[in-house]
Amino acid sequence: MNTLGIIFSDMQDWNMTELASHRSVAAIPFGGRYRLIDFPLSNMVNSGMNKICIITKSNYRSLMEHVGSGKDWDLSRKKGGILIFPPYAVGENHGLFQGRLDALKRVLDYISSSKEKYVVMSDCDMIYNINYKDVIRYHEEKNSDITAIYTTTQIEKNSSVHKIIYEFDKDGRADDILVYPVTSGTHNVGLSTWVMNKDFLESIIYDAIARNYKDFSYDVLAKKVHSLRIYGYKYNGYFAHIDSLQSYYDHSLGLLKKENLQSLFYSKTGPIYTKTKDSAPTKYMQGANVKNSLIASGCVIEGTVENSIIFRGVKIGKNASVKNSIIMQHGVIGENASLDSIITDTYAQVTNNRVLLGYANCPFFIKKFSVV
Amino acid sequence: MKSFKKECVVMLLAGGQGSRLGTLTQKIAKPSVPFGGKYRIIDFPLSNCVNSGLDTIGVLTQYQPLKLNSYIGDGKSWDLDRMNGGIQILPPYQRVGDSEWYSGTANAIYQNMNFIDQYDPDFVLVLSGDHIYKMDYSLMIKYHKEKNADCTISVIDVPLNEASRFGILSSDDDGRITNFEEKPKKPKSTKASMGIYVFTWNKLKQYLESDDKNPDSSKDFGKDVMPLMLKSGEKMYSYEFKGYWKDVGTIDSLWQANMDLLGNDGFNLSGDGVIYSRHAERPPQYISGNSSVKNSIVSEGAVIFGSVENSVIFSGVRIGEGAKIKDSVIMADVEIKDNSIINNSIIDEEVIIGPNIKIGYPRGESLEITVIPRESIINNMQEV
Repeated sequence: MNTLGIIFSDMQDWNMTELASHRSVAAIPFGGRYRLIDFPLSNMVNSGMNKICIITKSNYRSLMEHVGSGKDWDLSRKKGGILIFPPYAVGENHGLFQGRLDALKRVLDYISSSKEKYVVMSDCDMIYNINYKDVIRYHEEKNSDITAIYTTTQIEKNSSVHKIIYEFDKDGRADDILVYPVTSGTHNVGLSTWVMNKDFLESIIYDAIARNYKDFSYDVLAKKVHSLRIYGYKYNGYFAHIDSLQSYYDHSLGLLKKENLQSLFYSKTGPIYTKTKDSAPTKYMQGANVKNSLIASGCVIEGTVENSIIFRGVKIGKNASVKNSIIMQHGVIGENASLDSIITDTYAQVTNNRVLLGYANCPFFIKKFSVV
Repeated sequence: MKSFKKECVVMLLAGGQGSRLGTLTQKIAKPSVPFGGKYRIIDFPLSNCVNSGLDTIGVLTQYQPLKLNSYIGDGKSWDLDRMNGGIQILPPYQRVGDSEWYSGTANAIYQNMNFIDQYDPDFVLVLSGDHIYKMDYSLMIKYHKEKNADCTISVIDVPLNEASRFGILSSDDDGRITNFEEKPKKPKSTKASMGIYVFTWNKLKQYLESDDKNPDSSKDFGKDVMPLMLKSGEKMYSYEFKGYWKDVGTIDSLWQANMDLLGNDGFNLSGDGVIYSRHAERPPQYISGNSSVKNSIVSEGAVIFGSVENSVIFSGVRIGEGAKIKDSVIMADVEIKDNSIINNSIIDEEVIIGPNIKIGYPRGESLEITVIPRESIINNMQEV
């Protein structure tokens, strides 16, 4: 497909301090064996795109380790393939980039020299399963400058949301765009993904250089909603917006609903790819008692697991009880330990007989490498 | 393209039919028979090679190679896509003047001497593709060098009543082999050859060439080449291996080897020596609220609503509500619908069973393993 992929690995890191304190948003583990970047990356690969770049800001070691040469996504290619851009200084621009347009300015050479006709630009905070081919067809049909992928959803309570909200006219053209508003009710919420012609993206970047614009959402979408042809492409399937520890927790456990599991992992678009680890199948011992849970490979389970997500290589000891919890990779839960509503980051250990309790609307977080 | 010297080249014999595995090897070669939830038998010798630092491997194929060839691909799943060396499939081929199938294990190597010579190796390691074990071959090669041997055969202690199924060796205190008998009626020792040989390449080459000229030879390592080398006084040593090793040449032994993966006492797939394999991308396994999984191993992408006990469940298996699986091996992408009962069986890939079907007899009533051939659809009791 004649399309370049640009993925921003941490546009939203300021908001997820616990999970993103030592890694990019893109590298946050999700769903038992994935990291958030696997979702946009797999969408692109399943749509036939084979040239993808990832723009990172800070703490990108675990992301680079995860992506590697790209071969697990079939992106280790002679032509195209995957490229990671660590922070990059051009001319007077030193230090970290300030906003999306500033980041794009610094990789302008790469964008200009690409031969692709279209660009799909995506963040890593939205999880959904889509074929971009359909979006590009719609983009062509409407002859739009920017096509934003959105879904219609309910926003509860009057709260500040980290979402972009679109209003469209009868033809589907945006006539109002609100960035991170305080609101409630039913809205058209952007899925942090935009389709553009590559030439058009270049022209925006030139304009941003001339006017010292830094932020795509405010300076392009919101400010130019009437002068540009911005259209919305409606997506109707499962989506999860990860913008806080609470939403991470809720959406993780949401995967235990059959319809969510089905639409994310068994969609016609294709599978979600991730780094292969060659772990052995999971071993259930005589005392294992597992109910309504997602379990990755390489685990050894001797205790009780209920309504939980267990990542690769986790050990759950005899008579231990893990409920409503998320145990990230290589976690060890000791004998007779009891956990409810807990998120343990990677390599965390809970020693024998410990009792840890969070609550559904206040899950308790245990840091990477910590021993409880 | 010129190849560079390798100290040791591996030749993996993967052409056997494995007829004692019945329908399991009707359409695929024995080394590609699925094992242990996500592997195929050939993953074990291949991973052992990689874990032993050996990266130049010829795979000799003959019987039903399609699945095996596509499974191996360019070898990247085992990190064997290399600039110099790597993995190469070696089927029988036509030559000027004559062409023949591989007529025996020694003949298969003989026909591929050119492949080996490209790398100018000091040693050749010959492996077979039908055993489940983890072994560091580099220690055996080190032993071979220390003994300055011409041939080293890896041996394992087997029960006396099973010894007549194997090649049986006797050796002196230094490990030097004094006697070798292929499948003897009255075994003189319990040291069985594991079908793993290290040869000094120059020496082996001589014997392969002379064996090829002998019209009475069946061109087999165990039957012809080894006895001749021994008779001629070559330095042959036995190398004792202690650890788990299982020949999975029969339905019963294949079933048993799968069962050995359960609990703590058998064969440990994780831990030292990762076993690499090629597998489809799958989400984590889902275990539902009403299911029960005990003393079993389960692979990625399995979805379980029923109960599973003492069983090995491969990737992508779906087990419906009320279904009961016990003492069984359920291979990839099998679907067992609601309320079906499976006991003491091996269900081959992509089979659909049920609903309400009973297959196999409980372990207490019969020890016989029921095998359901791949891609069968069983939805009515008469067919079983």
